[in-house]
Amino acid sequence: MASIARSALLRQVATAGPVPRQVIASSSRALPVATFHTSARRNLLPPLPQKVEGTVNDPAPVPEPSPSHGSYHWTFDRLVAASLIPLTVTPFAAGSLNPTLDALLCATILIHSHTGFQSIIIDYVPTWRMPRVRKLFNWGLKAATAVVGLALYEFETTDVGLVETVKRVWTA
Amino acid sequence: MAALRSTSTRALLASARPSSLRIAAAGPIRGFAQLADGAQQSNVAAGDQPAAKLKTFQIYRWNPDQPTEKPRMQSYTLDLNKTGPMVLDALIRIKNELDPTLTFRRSCREGICGSCAMNINGTNTLACLCRIPNEDSSEMKIYPLPHTYVVKDLVPDLTQFYKQYKSIKPYLQRDTPSPDGKEYRQTKEDRKKLDGLYECILCACCSTSCPSYWWNSEEYLGPAILLQSYRWIVDSRDERTAQRKDALNNSMSLYRCHTILNCTRTCPKGLNPGLAIAKIKKEMAFS
Repeated sequence: MASIARSALLRQVATAGPVPRQVIASSSRALPVATFHTSARRNLLPPLPQKVEGTVNDPAPVPEPSPSHGSYHWTFDRLVAASLIPLTVTPFAAGSLNPTLDALLCATILIHSHTGFQSIIIDYVPTWRMPRVRKLFNWGLKAATAVVGLALYEFETTDVGLVETVKRVWTA
Repeated sequence: MAALRSTSTRALLASARPSSLRIAAAGPIRGFAQLADGAQQSNVAAGDQPAAKLKTFQIYRWNPDQPTEKPRMQSYTLDLNKTGPMVLDALIRIKNELDPTLTFRRSCREGICGSCAMNINGTNTLACLCRIPNEDSSEMKIYPLPHTYVVKDLVPDLTQFYKQYKSIKPYLQRDTPSPDGKEYRQTKEDRKKLDGLYECILCACCSTSCPSYWWNSEEYLGPAILLQSYRWIVDSRDERTAQRKDALNNSMSLYRCHTILNCTRTCPKGLNPGLAIAKIKKEMAFS
């Protein structure tokens, strides 16, 4: 991963001169071959030049405490993840279908995947760097969760339900 | 221990040094390195003269005085018979004898200062605690700590790391004086809680091995700083435990840890930052 940090500096240097373009023009056949053999370079969010907030002797800023994004969120996340295990096992163990249990499983999966995707967004779309994209992703996730929630509701109420579907696909 | 061992091996090797030079001069000239090595090894088997054990070190070089020049890997070949057992010995020898422009940090050469943290053969470790494997003749690759801004060659910029360390207030915070006006006492059990935490030397090997810290070092504190934070949270003498926990109670500072556990795997001091972080999370969940 170090290569990403370092190559950013290089790339700035490399793009300054016209040399790469000439190389591309001269080796018109080599390039498609090379691109076929190697995956494309996706220059997503290259590291910025180093910036020191304040002086080097100032401590890094400490964010305001917010348990709903911190400890409560984490505990809730773990509880949801843990409750998924019995909810998944119960239909197999009991061998019977309970619509309430099925609905509960759907809701838990929905929440679990929502917080999981949220975690990915927090990791890879930093607020300090691109606040608007972060907002877009967050709203996109909320919309997706709402659509999936609606779909699951429809599926549960008008169709056979999740567990029964798995059962039918399994025995098909 | 390491120091003792290294002096004894050095004494052993020193006695054998002139003979190895003679071998190198008189030995047959071969085109391939492996063949020559093999021939010399058979010489060792036949007589009592050790052959030159050559090892190549590929070292990351980048000079800030020539910012338009690409970073490059430079190879240096040393005879391990004349070099100490650790990678730092080799680096110091390269700097003394082959290339004085090679730049790296080092101080104590016994794993207590944390200066010589670098990426050796793909693992973050202290050069002074990392043995040169002499059973195989493969090249060793030495890079600076991953995903850091490089100052020069093997010297990373740890400004953000130290700023974050300062932000957790790594000192005893206490208002009530001790009952007898002497030192703040704690029970043996309370003291035992600090074992495995106070030994951290802040070499930054763990933090720079953490993918989460690579992506979010601006806001996530990283394993080393969180281990230090836990060291003050569990300290029975500290009276700001609640404030310390509050400072971590947001989505970024602590909870970007996804238990990847690269930190625990890489720690050259054998500590367990992953466990410390898990304990902070547990305490915050049940408090």
